[in-house]
Amino acid sequence: MKITTLFVASLLAASVSGCKLVKTGDGEAAADPIAESVETTFDAKLVPALTEKAVDLATLQNAIKGSLDKAGESYGTRVGGAGGGWNFPVKGTATVLEDTRASTKAGVAEIDVDGDGKADATLQLGPVVKGSALRDTTNLYDFSTFRDQIEYAKLGRALNDKAVSKLPAADTELKGKKVDFVGAVVIRSASEKPLITPVSIEVAP
Amino acid sequence: MQLTKRLLMSVVALGIAGAMSGTALAADTIAIITPSHSNPFFKAEADGAAAKAKELGYATMVLVHDDDANKQSELFDSAIAAGVKAIILDNAGADASVAAVQKAKDKGIPSFLIDREITTTGVAVSQIVSNNYQGAQLGAEEFVKLMGEKGNYAELLGKESDTNAGIRSQGYHDVIDQYSEMKLVAKQTANWSQTEAYTVMESMLQAHPDIKGVISGNDTMAMGAYAALEAAGRKDVIVVGFDGSNDVRDSIKKGGIKATVLQPAYQQAQNAVEQADKFIKTGSTGLDEKQLMDCILINADNAEKLETFALKP
Repeated sequence: MKITTLFVASLLAASVSGCKLVKTGDGEAAADPIAESVETTFDAKLVPALTEKAVDLATLQNAIKGSLDKAGESYGTRVGGAGGGWNFPVKGTATVLEDTRASTKAGVAEIDVDGDGKADATLQLGPVVKGSALRDTTNLYDFSTFRDQIEYAKLGRALNDKAVSKLPAADTELKGKKVDFVGAVVIRSASEKPLITPVSIEVAP
Repeated sequence: MQLTKRLLMSVVALGIAGAMSGTALAADTIAIITPSHSNPFFKAEADGAAAKAKELGYATMVLVHDDDANKQSELFDSAIAAGVKAIILDNAGADASVAAVQKAKDKGIPSFLIDREITTTGVAVSQIVSNNYQGAQLGAEEFVKLMGEKGNYAELLGKESDTNAGIRSQGYHDVIDQYSEMKLVAKQTANWSQTEAYTVMESMLQAHPDIKGVISGNDTMAMGAYAALEAAGRKDVIVVGFDGSNDVRDSIKKGGIKATVLQPAYQQAQNAVEQADKFIKTGSTGLDEKQLMDCILINADNAEKLETFALKP
């Protein structure tokens, strides 16, 4: 592993010193590796991984009422140390009580999962999406392989943007509709209302 | 004997503002190297690491590099000469520090980094850093909310050599720039310094009296900026900081500064020493080199629970 790295590094060094780098066309070689990673993993790996492992939101919320840590050990992954939380892949069916996209850029849908007429979770609709739940919930993206936090953060942001592009457009009013969703969420305390980053929202006919 | 003498001489020669405790060569020693303790954040780090080291039976050698990579390199020489078993480091530059950490590694001394990353992996054993980007996003989300998603604002940047200055600014802008009615009218470094921030804020206010908010790369600069705003009778300006210092906590409680973001500095330093201890004893930490720790938003709702860079339960 280390030998390979050294070998590659010396090859690179040799190629840099040995020949002149010529920029070709509009920079095919300089393609954005993060955009590329999102393109190759989002539909092919991330969505299937989340869908496959997703726990039903109602089940998860019941488990959290018992113990967040136990729920985490059963359904989630711990990310971010003491200040962090449990990341869960989630799915569910719910009624949208409110769609805030007309009034804020950090648009959300307040949803009712258990049918009591009260919001018990929130789906982020964007365009401004908070957090990096999509990046952190599966083991697809390893921080150690990124140069620094900025690069890793760019990936988180790019995944969020990609997710928003797959959601129902802003002119589709979701209020009052029944929706099926799949996504990811970070929970830091048992009492918080889950703020879910969805990768898909299907409006029931 | 000779080693001790040489070390003492270099300590004197460098005018190190640190302290050696215990009988350095009798017990195993861990070196703790950070920026100047004049910023309480770095003091909390050094205190957290030293307390854990003592708890685990190590002597400590506490040194400060004052964000000077050359001085840091000399401190590494001293630590290596003293035969320390491990180095806990909050470094003096993401690129410039790689050579110093490598130098220690070549002598068989493992380094455990806290707070700031270096740009190369495989040199330090651990890099335990706050998720500055995630923290900056929390701060920016709160800032945007307090601003009502619109208005003129200024940004105070940290020291350029510190990778976290750039990471935080990027985190702020990745959130704020998505709001087209938020207008950045001034952006300047105050080098993490309270006094510098005071002066910078004064001139920013003169040039842009219509300013509605200030987002700052750390708490010491937020304190400086707020003092300047207060002196100008502009306590209406929304100020948000970063670090979670007791000073800013007190300001939040009095309705001054509106929010900050806590980096778990004390905990981070303690984790680094625990990992160093495990590595010294077993040859492995059992963990990934790069470890991110999430930050926590502090505002009027939870400021009361904040104490010396940790949240009380």
